[in-house]
Amino acid sequence: MESAGRAQAARDRVPRIDPYGFERPEDFDYAAYEEFFSTYLAILTRRAIKWSRLLKGGAGVQKSMTLKRYIRKGVPLEHRARVWMGVSGAQAQMDQNPGYYLHLLQGEKDDSLEEAIRTDMNRTFPDNVRFRKGSDPCLQRTLYNVLLAYGHHNRGVGYCQGMNFLAGYLILVTRSEEESFWLLDALVGRILPDYYSPSMLGLKTDQEVLGELVRTKLPAVAALMDSHGLLWTLVVSRWFICLFVDVLPVETVLRIWDCLFNEGSKIIFRVALTLIKQHQALILEATSIPDICEKFKEITRGSFVTECHTFMQKIFSEPGSLSRASIARLRERCRARLLAQG
Amino acid sequence: MSRKKTPKSKGGSAPATSALPATHGSQPVRPGTARPGPEAPPNRPPQPGRSSLGGGGDFYDVAFKVMLVGDSGVGKTCLLVRFKDGAFLAGTFISTVGIDFRNKVLDVDGMKVKLQIWDTAGQERFRSVTHAYYRDAHALLLLYDVTNKASFDSIQAWLTEIQEYAQHDVVLMLLGNKVDSAQERVVKREDGEKLAKVSCGWVGSQNAPGAAGPELSPPGCQRLFAGVRAAIHGDQRQDGPQCGLGFHGHSKVSPGSYREDPQTQRLNPLVGGTGHPIPWSSLPHRELKQRCMKAPSEPRFQLHDYIKREGRGASCCKP
Repeated sequence: MESAGRAQAARDRVPRIDPYGFERPEDFDYAAYEEFFSTYLAILTRRAIKWSRLLKGGAGVQKSMTLKRYIRKGVPLEHRARVWMGVSGAQAQMDQNPGYYLHLLQGEKDDSLEEAIRTDMNRTFPDNVRFRKGSDPCLQRTLYNVLLAYGHHNRGVGYCQGMNFLAGYLILVTRSEEESFWLLDALVGRILPDYYSPSMLGLKTDQEVLGELVRTKLPAVAALMDSHGLLWTLVVSRWFICLFVDVLPVETVLRIWDCLFNEGSKIIFRVALTLIKQHQALILEATSIPDICEKFKEITRGSFVTECHTFMQKIFSEPGSLSRASIARLRERCRARLLAQG
Repeated sequence: MSRKKTPKSKGGSAPATSALPATHGSQPVRPGTARPGPEAPPNRPPQPGRSSLGGGGDFYDVAFKVMLVGDSGVGKTCLLVRFKDGAFLAGTFISTVGIDFRNKVLDVDGMKVKLQIWDTAGQERFRSVTHAYYRDAHALLLLYDVTNKASFDSIQAWLTEIQEYAQHDVVLMLLGNKVDSAQERVVKREDGEKLAKVSCGWVGSQNAPGAAGPELSPPGCQRLFAGVRAAIHGDQRQDGPQCGLGFHGHSKVSPGSYREDPQTQRLNPLVGGTGHPIPWSSLPHRELKQRCMKAPSEPRFQLHDYIKREGRGASCCKP
């Protein structure tokens, strides 16, 4: 009874809609969230003071060891757009190409591109009040513009499903169409190696790379996957394509993206390996393919991922060493293998 | 954290049975405890088993793998959720990225049939990610949107993809979705029928082993077709005017067999997911069960006759 009362009290205190406009799911654990947030709030406050000091004076964001340490501990929401823009090179691109974004939107439009994007408009965050048709202001138009401009800017990629979720988050964080466009360019064009092009070779490569990393670091899980002939793409494609959007809690995703913009795509492997390692015993209970798939969904839920601050500390300790050189080597090997398979 | 312990399997109380006709060529969905013996042929039929999967304690006798394919936005996920949970939730779905799956256990005349349903992204570039899974599918549900001509025009490309990657005897159903949007409908029912006929022609007669005429489907297909067909038709009847996602279905295993299901009403209890036994006495589920118990040498399920017989009566698409 007491715990039911606490749960109800938490339900009354915690808003139904989160700070980003997402409605909390039906089964949201309000009590657990409130408990986590009371601790996290203190961290947020401390970080906010530190960041204000670091960024005072309004100078550009310069990459440094201090900045890297700060970013790993979380960028406060009010500075997030500026920091992402700075460390990803998006700001520099935007400054060097004034008027380019508007020019893209004013040019001639590709019908099939428009159609593909339009199909996903009502299917991007229907659970977010700001993206819902009829909301005021409605971010669907902004999203449409960003994706359309990007499709014309990067014709080799055009529009790939999944980019709608990336652009959606960028819009929620930056509240700026043009900045979202340049950040999307940083992600799709530079940070993620060839994930979204029609061949999706980079995506397939990285899924294989994860498989190889698991084989080295968590051989029992690799053996389980092998014994069922299960391909990694089946369980992790959404992790890679959506960069954990709609897989992990919003706050956790943003903390991951803080590091992704600063440190690059390696972070995705760190997150994936941490999730798998933490829940290795649970995964190994699986006895069939659907069972494994279910476990891989299950490991993206619960307090381990909601408690984003601890989670982010774990991604840098749990998977152990993950050098850039070894990732590059693995990518090369996996890519060659995929190409040989045709 | 909210990690849920999965109940341990209750042990294989129903070991792989030889009563199943070993004709279906695709990979079986293997329940956890029912291990195929050394004598199991490389192409095994779907195997029965008593297994607890996904933590839901859903025991089953036979399992099938079904894949939903078709262009982006034709309503694959909506169809799946309608079927799985009985809910029509148009406008609440996010675009499917990559591949996703759900289980559904149906009670068919006292026999538990588990459908393992794979939902796929429709965008063309994802095909190279998803077609690796075609080969394991017992059935493919190919959807188009009757209000979107392009999605209908793509069917041919999907068929090519299916022919290349799926098992030759896979059950294929062509489904025209969103027929409730009569005002915006651009693909005529006749066009769907015609396409089904034409594609049946090449897929059926050229590829099904032992095919001779319309009744060419091997028993595995028949069982599955019956199960999938009923399940899908049962799913799509919408109750109110606000939730009108209807469709019609065709199957390549039955050339020229176009029908709109008259049995929908009767199937509705199943859709609610109440777990009550389903009064399907006049439906092919009985045959589904029978087929599972019959030896392969017994007479074939006369699909064409069945279609004819069932084809009379009201339509699920017309209220």
